Order: sequence, then structure tokens, then C-alpha cells
Amino acid sequence: MIRYLARRAAHGLLMLFGVSILLFLLFQAAPGDFLSDARVNSQISAETLAQLRVQYGLDQPLPVRYWQWLKSSAKGEFGYSFAYNTPASTLLWPRARNTLLLSVPALLISWLIAVPLGVFAAGWKGRWADRLFSSGTSALLALPDVLIALLALLIALKTGIFPVGGMTSINAQDQGTWAWLRDLGWHMVLPVGAIVIGSLAIILRHVRASIIELMDSSYMRAAEGHGLPRFKLLFGYALPAAANPLISLFGLSVALLLSVSLLIEVVMSWPGIGPLLLEAIMARDLFVVIGAVMLSTVFLVAGNLLGDVLLYAFDPRIRRQA
Amino acid sequence: MTSGKLSLPKPEPLLRVSALSVDYDAVGGNMVHAVRQLDLEIAGGESVGVLGESGSGKSSLALAIIRLLPKNACVVSGRIDYRGRSLAEFSPAELRAMCGAEVSLISQEPALALNPVLSLGRQLADVLLAHRKFTRQEVKARCNEMLCQVGFDDPGRVMRAYPHELSGGQRQRVAIAQALICRPKLLIADEPFSALDAATQAEILELLQRLKRDLGLAMLFITHNAGTVAALADNIVIMREGEAIARGTMETLQASGDEYVQGILFPEKSLANATHKEQPLVSGAPLLQVQGLSKKFVQKRMLSRKQFVVQSLEGIDLELAAGSTVAVLGRSGSGKSTLARCLAGFEAPDLGEILLDGNPVTEKKRDPRWQTKVQMIFQDAATSLNPRFTARQVVAEPLEIARWKSEAERMARAMKLMEEVGLDPEWAARLAGEFSGGQRQRLSLARALAADPKLLIMDEALSGLDMPLQAQMVRLLMELQARHGLTYLYISHDLNFISLFAREVVVMNAGRIVERTTPEKLAESMHPATRELVEASERLHAPGMEAAV
Amino acid sequence: MNAPTPAFSGLRSTKFGSKLTWAIWFLLVVHAVVVLAGFVAPYSFETQEREHPYAPPTRLHFVDCSGKFHFRPFVYVTKASENDLNEYQQDCSQPAGIEFFAQGDRYTILGMFTSTRHLFGVQSPASLFLMGTDGFGRDQFSRLLYGGQVSLFAGFVAAAFSALAGLLLGGIAGMYGGRVDDMAMRFAEIFITIPWFYLLIAVRAFLPLQISPLTAFLLVVSVIGIVGWSRPARLVRGVILSARERNFVLAARGFGASNAYLLKKHLMPLTFRVLLTQMAVLIPQFILAEVILSFLGLGIGEPFPSWGNMLAQAQQYHVLVSYWWMLLPGLAPVPVFLAYHSLAETLQERIKSYI
Repeated sequence: MIRYLARRAAHGLLMLFGVSILLFLLFQAAPGDFLSDARVNSQISAETLAQLRVQYGLDQPLPVRYWQWLKSSAKGEFGYSFAYNTPASTLLWPRARNTLLLSVPALLISWLIAVPLGVFAAGWKGRWADRLFSSGTSALLALPDVLIALLALLIALKTGIFPVGGMTSINAQDQGTWAWLRDLGWHMVLPVGAIVIGSLAIILRHVRASIIELMDSSYMRAAEGHGLPRFKLLFGYALPAAANPLISLFGLSVALLLSVSLLIEVVMSWPGIGPLLLEAIMARDLFVVIGAVMLSTVFLVAGNLLGDVLLYAFDPRIRRQA
Repeated sequence: MTSGKLSLPKPEPLLRVSALSVDYDAVGGNMVHAVRQLDLEIAGGESVGVLGESGSGKSSLALAIIRLLPKNACVVSGRIDYRGRSLAEFSPAELRAMCGAEVSLISQEPALALNPVLSLGRQLADVLLAHRKFTRQEVKARCNEMLCQVGFDDPGRVMRAYPHELSGGQRQRVAIAQALICRPKLLIADEPFSALDAATQAEILELLQRLKRDLGLAMLFITHNAGTVAALADNIVIMREGEAIARGTMETLQASGDEYVQGILFPEKSLANATHKEQPLVSGAPLLQVQGLSKKFVQKRMLSRKQFVVQSLEGIDLELAAGSTVAVLGRSGSGKSTLARCLAGFEAPDLGEILLDGNPVTEKKRDPRWQTKVQMIFQDAATSLNPRFTARQVVAEPLEIARWKSEAERMARAMKLMEEVGLDPEWAARLAGEFSGGQRQRLSLARALAADPKLLIMDEALSGLDMPLQAQMVRLLMELQARHGLTYLYISHDLNFISLFAREVVVMNAGRIVERTTPEKLAESMHPATRELVEASERLHAPGMEAAV
Repeated sequence: MNAPTPAFSGLRSTKFGSKLTWAIWFLLVVHAVVVLAGFVAPYSFETQEREHPYAPPTRLHFVDCSGKFHFRPFVYVTKASENDLNEYQQDCSQPAGIEFFAQGDRYTILGMFTSTRHLFGVQSPASLFLMGTDGFGRDQFSRLLYGGQVSLFAGFVAAAFSALAGLLLGGIAGMYGGRVDDMAMRFAEIFITIPWFYLLIAVRAFLPLQISPLTAFLLVVSVIGIVGWSRPARLVRGVILSARERNFVLAARGFGASNAYLLKKHLMPLTFRVLLTQMAVLIPQFILAEVILSFLGLGIGEPFPSWGNMLAQAQQYHVLVSYWWMLLPGLAPVPVFLAYHSLAETLQERIKSYI
């Protein structure tokens, strides 16, 4: 088991390196705006600038720059933000936490809804419940995420039940932990809801499709022939057998969710990685851009790794191979 | 064998099928009448064998009884009565209670009948619990008992195991245990052997015989292999194209004068009349010479130092005289397929020489003129043809590649070849994917002939077909051989029909040739590998029938 | 012997045919309308009516203020009321009938045809804002049509781009196998490991931000296409690898077939079908990508409309709350997506039968 996980983790790490190299190569292809003095924050003194130049090898060829960045990352700084005059990590970490605050609940909720619904729809395929389900998901799928985000904002504005954007109210911090948590919760409802709506349809469809494909297989029909009750067939036999495709779907859903949440964060002013990335792009703040993208990739790799663990737990064939 | 026919008034039969008709809604809007007006009765404790070619509707019959017909099939008319009550009157709950507890099904492919992610013990217990209430200890005890009855020595280990940890034969035993654990009255076995190799088939057959005796099971046993029917069934029904065309015990049917019945029961006999064992002996240099052929496969895992070396072939020497047929026999894994692929030029051997008419044909020293002289017919008809090609395109492909003459002449030759292999040239424009398995093998044959070969290698080419079809194909092959002077290398794991058309038999085991003999002398051989094959074959063909060997 | 039974449903099979044909016709019509945006739209995308900022959709009437019924639908001239700038009042004394093939702004179609005749319109000072106006008084309906040109075709071209790149790289990986395949797949995996929008934005970020609209269009298309190459590539590679091992390919080799023959007769037809299906899945995704990029200000910029940058205006709270018609560009992709989805579904069903 450990060996299997170690192998998967090593693979993930390799991918992360590959991604970072790709990003640096992209940076190489960019025109020189990133380094022009005019863009740099005027608060940075000339000496600091010179020191930064050396520290991050900004005038050096690409491999040197990459190496310096790696060293800086190992130290936990992940480069330097020219726009804010601080190591990139100080910007990245709080944002990462905030994005997780949205993504993890959204992921859990999406799957908790998708699996039972998808299995039911697969089990009652062809009947009116399933047809309703299909039309519903089609409609949801066709809704652009942008619209969903704007509608969420609209709901907040019109009904006044939920706060409009942002993560916390101004004086929430002062009122004690419990009130602060409640305040946070209220702020989370709409963004999380929007993310769930934006990604639910795809996950639902895939769950249903995986189960349907399985229902036709010989062992399902044999189990039916042995008189097993329908509920047991669906949840005790089809679902475990579907573990393999569903868990790969899990990895995909993490990617989907992260992408959707970027947009929602921006529209609803939730201080996550998304808005930071956008700001950094507009400000040509190179290291923050790379850091933000790397961070989202780390989340995805972590999600995939979690998927691998789940697969190991649920599929005996993987256990044997490992 | 006990006869089910007595002159006393019969008690209510366990199962009665009356005028059953089942239709399939095939793609393209065609209605296929799978079963037509079929009548059938099974009394308690009686076993009835349904014999027929593929496509005769036997499986549909089985599925209709256990209500497992696929979505595009329906029972059009007739009724099925279980213990006097029509199945149509059963409520869904009653039907569910019946399936698995009173009537059980063993299906064709044991490997696929078990859920791969659940332990076998769990799957066994679930069937039990679906029908009766038991405590955990009782469940465990019953499962263990059942597993012992089907021949497992260590039921505890099997209970904890997963399907992929067992062999095909073992999985079939577990599937049988699952079917019988609720002590059903009627067992429906739908081709339970076809996916297993000969030796395993014999084992399962014995098991079923024993269970029938010990448990007093009524059985509906469906197959295309007349030999197994004889071993298991009290009464036999022969189906053809959805209808029951003959019934009776083995003795009464054997005495029947109907040609089709005889053909189904004794496929070898029908062939024996049509063959001429005296093949014109071609003297002179042998067509094919193989010397010292060796090949090994190395499997490596990524990032691991371990290497898996499989010595697939070692020191193979072989000679084929032109116009003759040599059969290569062996269990799966003996290296026969690798040999075939080397001879056909799909793999390069590590050591050794292959000479065709004196010219080398190993991949490195390939002489292009001889490339097409050796052709191969594959086992899996489904993947040997591009399903989106028309039949004409398939057969004409070698001519197309060689740019033989003109387009029109190529097509004409293709149609002629189709006729020669017994396919209606009207179907030339149909897509290859629409043909049945046997028809696709014929197309493969026609295509191979188009390349004008001297040597045809048949790599288990007939193994996937049912017995009557195999007989037809063998007859066709022999006709073609006589007409075109072909040489055959026939590779197989079972001995059907070998005596009828092979002049020499070569037995392989673990990559080597262990025996060379003639079909007649095969039964007397003392070599363990050969004996294994022979005994397996004999067990599948009941005594009293002319065995293949 | 039984005759061969049809296993593959033809194009006209009732089960698939109607859904497929509906989807294709719908898409063709939508794209045609959008190409002819100049003609169909009553206004140009830049025309500003300074007196009508954020005007609601013009109401069409068949019955006038005095209760009389007219056959030809007409509108009333509207004017901003003095009390509330958001309120527009209709002037009953100035009806204006809708004219077909009316004269209007000059436009060019496909860079070739120039005309001033529009499908319908009204004489000024009346205005026909079917979907209201934005803050600059520009007709949203016309901009929607022009924006459709950008969004729909950006998606389409980018998908074609991706498919081509995937075909090339996946094809090479599949045909040569071994080392080449391994490397190509690792490379593709790196692209897949980054969450898609993040990669999209990052790639876009590294390119110049202030560029001319045409360059922007090409840029956006290339970026989306490049970022999306990995999935088609993997698909193509998978198809070719598995097809190569099929016995009919081996048999063809045995007849002396060259690689070129195998590609042409066996591998490419299968690959094309798969790729076509993949494109039906990719196009809506890429349209969405363009919309989002433009929404965030990284795509097509002013004054050219794109469904994305039209929606961007709705981000302002006061617009969002008071001017509901500004959200309509968000609904525009919905029928297009539905059509593409059902196209993709039916194509996928048909492929299943022979993979």
C-alpha cells in the first residue's frame, strides 16, 4: 500500500515539476514587460530592486531563473511580488485557504448529491423520473457559468438574505469566534451554491452513464437473475463495481470545480486564488501568476492522489497489482 | 441414464412451456423471431437438454424462463407455467423470490458472472440472504457447505477471495455454487462450458453430473455440443431456427433418420462420409521447414528491476509437405500461437530459420515474393475484419494492396471467392460487421485465398464456433484444400475432427514439441501432455458416440 | 444460413436521425444568422444613442393608444422622463411602423458585400431596441448578433485547431509507439494536470494585453486551441494504438500493406469519426472559454462586442439589479450549447457500435 501511494505521489511530484517548467517556458516567450522598471512598484527602492534582480536572477538566462525560483520555493517564499513588495507566499497562502473553503464543501456537496441521484436515475432508466432528470441536467449543462455567477449576485442583491460578495463583513472579527463563523457561513452559501450548480450536471451525467454501462454487464444480470432486490443491486453491486470509473471521475471533477470556482470567486469578490491571479496578470506580477497557477495545480494533484487512495480502498484488483 | 417416460399418469410438471414465441427487435427495425411456438416440459428431477446451433434460439428460451430477456426482446405469445402457475401472473416480488431460490441460471461466461470488486463469500451470502433469513453463522455454514459440494477443499479461503484470484474453472464452480445455494428445484445451464478449455470442461461436466445425482435437481441444459448433452440429459430437444424439430432420449434420436438431427448429434460422422483421407502425396522438397526456432518474451515493470522472462518457443523443428495438413495441439500457454505468428511473419524469432520452398521468410531476411504465400486465419472473427468494410472490400483487400489488374476484375474475383466459401454473392455490399461469427470466418478464408497462398495457418480458427458449424467449416476447408492444393497448419487445443483431416499431429507443451504422431496413434500415446488432451476430449464426448480421436 | 443483419444504424434511422438533423439544422441556421449579422441586425454594433442609455427593450404594439388595431407592428418613440433617468415614457403621438428591408447603418458582410439595407428597422427618431441598450445607448440585440460572430466562431476555429493539433501529435504517438508515445503522453499529461481555466488565463497572461481586436481574436483562438490539444491527442492516440493491434490491420500487413495504406484505409476513417465527435464536445467548451476570457477582460475588447464582454457590464451592482436585459447575452449560448450537446450525444452513440 505504501509503495503504491509513494509511486503515485512521486508521479504527482514529477508532474508538478513539469508544470512549473512549462510555466517558466511560457514566461520566456512573453515580451519583456515583466521586468521593465516602469511596471515595478515605485515603493521599491533601487537597492532592493538590484538585490532582487540578483536574488531571482532576473537578468540571467532561463535555467538560472528557474533554479533561483526553486530555491526560493524551497524556502517557502515562492518568488517575489513586485506589485505588493512582499514574498509571493504571503499573498498565496491566505488565498489558498479561502479557495479551499469554497472548493472542498462544494466538492463534497456535489458528490453527495450526484451519487445517489445518478444511481437512482440509472436504476429507473427510461421512466419519467429519469427523463425529467435528463432534461434537467441538459438545461443545467447549457447554462454558462458566468450567468450562474451573475444570477447568484442578483439573488443576493435582490433578496438581501445573503451578503453580496466578499468573505466577511466588516466588523465580524470583533464579535467573537462563533459570530464570526456564522458570518463566514452566510457568506459562503451563495458562492458554494453557485459552484455546485455549475459542476453538478456534469458529474451527475457521468455517474448515471457509468452505472448504466455497468447494469448491462454479465455479472449484474446474473445477480438480477439470482433475485437480489433492486436497491441492493444498485447500491451494493453496481456502485462498488463502478468505483473505478467514478474515482477517475473524481479527479476530473476536482479540476472542473477549481476552474468553476475561479470565475465565481472573481464575480462574487471572494478573496481566493482566482481574483489574485487576475490582479497579478493585470499588474504583470510574474511570480504571483506562476505561484497561483502552481497552487491550483497542487490542489488538483492532491485531489487525484486522494482518488488513488480511494481506488485502492475500493477496487481489489488494484490492490493485487500494487 | 434414467428415462423420464413412464406409462403412469404424470404429476404436474415442474416447468411447462406452451407455444412460446420470443421476438427480438434488432437494430434497423428488423424483427427476429428467436423462438417460435415452442413446447417444453420438465418434470421434477428430470434433466432436459436443448441442443442446437448458435442462433437457434436456445439462449432466448432460457432467458425467457428466468425473465432476464434483454430490453429489446419480448415474449410475444405463449405461456410458461412454473408448478402449474403461469409466470405472467406472478407479481414482481414473487418473481424475484422465484429467481435464485426455485429456478437458477448459470450463464455462459463464468469469468463475467461474478462481480469483480466484491468478495466471493459476500456474493454467495447475498444470494442466500435475498431469499431467506439466516444468522451470520448459518450463512457461513451454508456457504462453506456449498463450496465443498462443488469441489473446493478450502472454502474459507475461497470465501475471502476475489474473482480475479481464481481460474476460469474455479469461477464457474463458484457460479454454480451461487446458483444452487438456495437449493432450487430447477437449474438452467446456458452453455456453461463454452468459455472453458477442454480439460476444465470435463471437470465441470463431472460436477454437474454429481450434483444432479446428489441433489435430485431438475435441469434445463442448453448447448451445441452433443457429447455433453448425452452425458447429462435424460431427454433431448433439438432446436433449429426457433422451433423444436425433434425430441426424445438419446437412443430414440440416434435411431432417427432425419439428416439434420444426425448432423447435430454426430458432426464427425457426417464429415467422415465426405472426406477423403487419401490426400495426393506430393513428393519432393517439403513446403515448409522450420529449424531450431526459439523466441522469448521479456516483461518489465516500469521503475522496477524485476524482469519476467517467458520462453515461448524453444528449439522447434517442423516440416510440412506440400498439400498436407499438420495439426499442432497443446494447452493454452504451450506456445502454439507464438509459433503461428512467427511462421506468418508477425513476430521475429530470436533464433532459428524458417524456409518456405527453400526461401527464408524470417522477418529480417524476408523475400517479398513470399510474403503473401503464408496466410493466417485468426481465432477471433470479430476483430479479423474491419467492421466498416463491405464484404467485397474485405475479400478484395489483398488484391487491392497488390494492385492486381483493374478495380472491376478485383471485385469480380472477390465475388467468385465469396461463392467458393459458401457465401451468397448478393451480400457483397453488406458491411462486414453485420455478418455472424461463422460467416466472418468464411470471409477471412475468402480473403486469405485472394492472396493466393501456399500455406494457411489456422490459429484456433474454429474454436469459437459451435460444433455443427465447426463441422461445416472443416468440410469447406477440405474442399478448398483439394481444389487449390493448399497446405494447412491447424492449431488448436481440442481434438475435434483432427482424425478426419490431419495427416500428422504435433503436440506442444511449454514451448517445445513433445511428440509427433499420427491421429490414429494419438489415443495410445504415453506422453503426459498428450494424455491430458486426449482424456479431456474423451470426457467431453460420451461413450457410445464416435469420439473425435 | 441467415442473411447478415444490419448492425449499424444508418444516418436516416428514426431513433437517431431526427435528433441529429434537428441539431445540425438549428446550428446551421444560427451560424448563418450570425454571419449575416449586418443584415439581420437593425443597428451597427457601435452606433450609440446618447439619449437612450440603459433603455429597456422596446415594446411592440399592434393596438395603438386609441385602441385601433394595425397589422403592421409598430413602436412609439420613447424619451427619458425628467423625474427618473431610468424611466422611459412612450409618446403616443409618434408611432413608427416597423419596416422590412429598411435603410440603416452601413455594414459589410464577410468583407465582401456592402449594403445599407437591413432586414427590419424603424425610422428615426423612433428606435427599435429589441433587447434594450447598454450604458452607451448601443442596441443590445444588434450587438448580440455581432458578438455571436466572435463567440461562436472563436469556439469553432479553436476546436478545429485543437483537433488538428491532437490529430498530428496523437497520430504520431500512436503510430510510432514506444518511446515517442511515452514522451508525448507525459507531455500531454502536464497540460491536463493544470486546471483548465487557470492554464487558459495563464497562457493568455503571458501575451500582450493591449492589442488590436483582430489580433485579439486570433490570439484568443490560438490560446484556447493550444491549451486544449491534449485531450484530442490522447483520444487519437488511443484509437490508433488499439486499432493497430486489431487483427485486420495485422492481416493487411500480411498482404504487404504499407503504413500509408493502413493509415488511409483503416486508421484514418475511424480516427476522423472519433475526432468529429470530440469536436462536438469541444466547441461548446471553447465558446464558453472565449466568453469567460472576454468577460474577464482578457479576450475581445471594446468596441467589438462578444457575449463575454457584454456580460461584463452586468458585473456592476446597479446594472445587475436594475437592468435585467443586460443579462440576456448570458442566455444566448444556451440554445447553441443544447444543440451541440445533443449533436455530441448522438455522435457518441453511433461511434460506440464499432469501437
